[in-house]
Amino acid sequence: MAELDPLILARIQFAFTVSFHIIFPTISIGLALFLVIVEGMWLKTGDLVYRQIYRFWLNIFAMSFAIGVVTGIVLSFEFGLTFSRFSQIAGSVIGPLIAYEVLTSFFLEAGFLGIMLFGEGRVGPKLHFFATCMVALGTVLSSAWIMSANSWMQTPDGVAWEHGRLVVTDWWRVVVNPSWPVRLPHMLLAAYLSAAFLVSGVSAWYLLRRRETAFARRTLSIGMAGACILIALQVFVGDHVGSTLVKYQPAKLQAAEGWWDKQTPSPMPYLWIVVPDQSGQRNLFQMGTPYFGSIWLTKSLTGTMPGLRNIPVNRQPRMVLVFYSFKLMLVIGMAMFTVAVISLWLRWHGRLYSARWFLRTLVVMAPSGVVATLGGWYTAEIGRQPWVIQGMMRTAEALSPVPAATLLSTLIAFVCAYSVFFLAFLIFTLRLIRRGPEGLPAHALPSGSLKRDLRPEIAGVQPYLAGAQD
Amino acid sequence: MDLPLLSALFMLFALTMYVVLDGFDLGVGALLLAQRDERVRNRMVDAIAPTWDGNETWLIMAGITLFAGFPVAYGILLPAFYIPVIVMLLSLGLRGVSFEFRHNSTTSRRRWDAVFAGGSLVAGLAQGVIVGGLIRGVNVDRNAFAGSPFDTFSPFCILTAVTVVAGYATLGVGWLRLKGEDATRAFARTHERWIPLAFLVLTIITVLIAARVQPKLIAAWRDHRAALSFCLFAFTVCALGIAWLAGRNDVDDHVGFALALAMMLSGMMALGLSFFPNVVPFRISLWNAASNTASLGFVLIGALVATPVVLTYTGFAYWVFHGKTPAEGWY
Repeated sequence: MAELDPLILARIQFAFTVSFHIIFPTISIGLALFLVIVEGMWLKTGDLVYRQIYRFWLNIFAMSFAIGVVTGIVLSFEFGLTFSRFSQIAGSVIGPLIAYEVLTSFFLEAGFLGIMLFGEGRVGPKLHFFATCMVALGTVLSSAWIMSANSWMQTPDGVAWEHGRLVVTDWWRVVVNPSWPVRLPHMLLAAYLSAAFLVSGVSAWYLLRRRETAFARRTLSIGMAGACILIALQVFVGDHVGSTLVKYQPAKLQAAEGWWDKQTPSPMPYLWIVVPDQSGQRNLFQMGTPYFGSIWLTKSLTGTMPGLRNIPVNRQPRMVLVFYSFKLMLVIGMAMFTVAVISLWLRWHGRLYSARWFLRTLVVMAPSGVVATLGGWYTAEIGRQPWVIQGMMRTAEALSPVPAATLLSTLIAFVCAYSVFFLAFLIFTLRLIRRGPEGLPAHALPSGSLKRDLRPEIAGVQPYLAGAQD
Repeated sequence: MDLPLLSALFMLFALTMYVVLDGFDLGVGALLLAQRDERVRNRMVDAIAPTWDGNETWLIMAGITLFAGFPVAYGILLPAFYIPVIVMLLSLGLRGVSFEFRHNSTTSRRRWDAVFAGGSLVAGLAQGVIVGGLIRGVNVDRNAFAGSPFDTFSPFCILTAVTVVAGYATLGVGWLRLKGEDATRAFARTHERWIPLAFLVLTIITVLIAARVQPKLIAAWRDHRAALSFCLFAFTVCALGIAWLAGRNDVDDHVGFALALAMMLSGMMALGLSFFPNVVPFRISLWNAASNTASLGFVLIGALVATPVVLTYTGFAYWVFHGKTPAEGWY
């Protein structure tokens, strides 16, 4: 046990718990907006297909929300558990931001979630819709605060050192720190894209099996329409995230693009594969598209950029991790863009619901948004290393006085418990999908809740729907 | 204005909200172990399902107020209680996902109920271990935790752990009697006869032993003799009251739960007074651990504005699900 490094273990534990966590908010932020749209459409048109879509996805939303909540609580304590020095030094900056997240968002979500899940028989349709909207608003506010806290760690502003601790001199500059205005929309769009591809993928699966056609066509139509708008915005926002890096975190960008040279060759190729040698400060192998780097990164045919060797060795992130995390996100983003363009073309020709090769692609793409989001987060977090607060505090200085053996055993406990969460989520979600919105049992069993019986004809259409149905 | 004190009071408020609200959730969860009939277990879970998430949020509020308002204490206490905190978080996690997973399963519901009950029980026990550790005190050196993560475990903390679970079970039976009908309510009434009394006896034993384990408590108790005597008196009267009411059918079901709440509140008040003014018990006072004015002020303004709004819609959410839990579930 003696050779175990507590710093590495603490980082792995934090990385594991935070990566696992972000999967579920990404899904639930996106699905929350999707549910607002379909419930709104249902109220407006009275079309029961919307209600069916709402009911079906509500169940999956509820599961991912629950996992998001319980894995999120872990994080609110983990700052202190594994990085107590960081908590003591930066607690009066980060803590209030998260306190505002709890006050404005967690309570809002939790308060209205019960009504959203269980209240349909207890409140009117408008109030129920209001509850759905409040939950969705909660997810946005939550993102806003947590992105503010994380962005502050990337681009700290508005603070000063006082007796070895950070104190806030200007709250506005802390909350609206330089990278927040671009990173927040970047994350929200990522979550919405994840949901768009998730719902589209599931609908495509039904269409391939010629099941639940009305449900699947409507869902696919909304999903792909959303994907088209969102990916266009994401390309634009993503580019701005890159520009912020140039200014505030050049090392991250240099590592993400795979360049070591003090100044890259002109014209600069765009690198897709590199085998970096961190200690030699060079690439053992690299492959790219000629000219493309200059065109994309500098918007000229011959432009160059500085490479990672401009940063002192003890302030560099590990290139291989940053590079491939970023490329993972980028490649998926480009695939999403291509799929979105094709979907427009197919829609134009009336083949969106019948082109089987396209539907098969969509099934494969169902988890793509979540994977891309993880890639983006790894780029952001590993790219910031060795800093925990960029330029102000090193991760190594942030550690708790907890022995390595203890860290290792809790890491194993987290892996075990989270594997159970993940497997159960996967099994139940796949089962719900297999049963389909029509096939879900009406649950004559004692414990029914409104989430369960999705068949309006069995559940009995609610009185206020009777009119809309005609 | 004394901002550190106000922040500490807000933290105590959030913690108390957590203890009474998630307390009955955890109590109901642990009581699932004592219920063999799956239909009754479904009613028990339905009684807490719509509001558990909001209840648990108060724990985050309390924890984050400690983080934001008293970062020094946060950075000492969490490493000190590293093991019980992580056990608690994992148990709360298992409890939380079980709500959804038991709901989506028909064949494995029994298993998820066991996870649900086990998660609730262990979460309560872990919180009790932390209370015991706080009473015994934490090893601090220059604003950092200087002990081992195993320091918190002692025979005394077994006692506090069981006591906390008994408290949660007292709240749980009160809530079940309030929300349940027929078999559920009968089940609650059966256990109302003895659980509050067990909680009372365990608490008295804990108090007596605590004075030996932590001699500094005696000084604190002397300072607040009147208030603490009142707490103990109210605590005892409420416990006896619940046990007496358990046998009577002519009293509103709200009364039993209100008495359980009063019991828990007096217990929390006594605990708060025993530790005051320390935030790391008997080592660091709340003024020495506090953030600077800019941060405390920022948090308190948010808390002042948001808390009434939060309480309003939380109250509304409870009101939507008021009355007995319907026998066919929430539809």
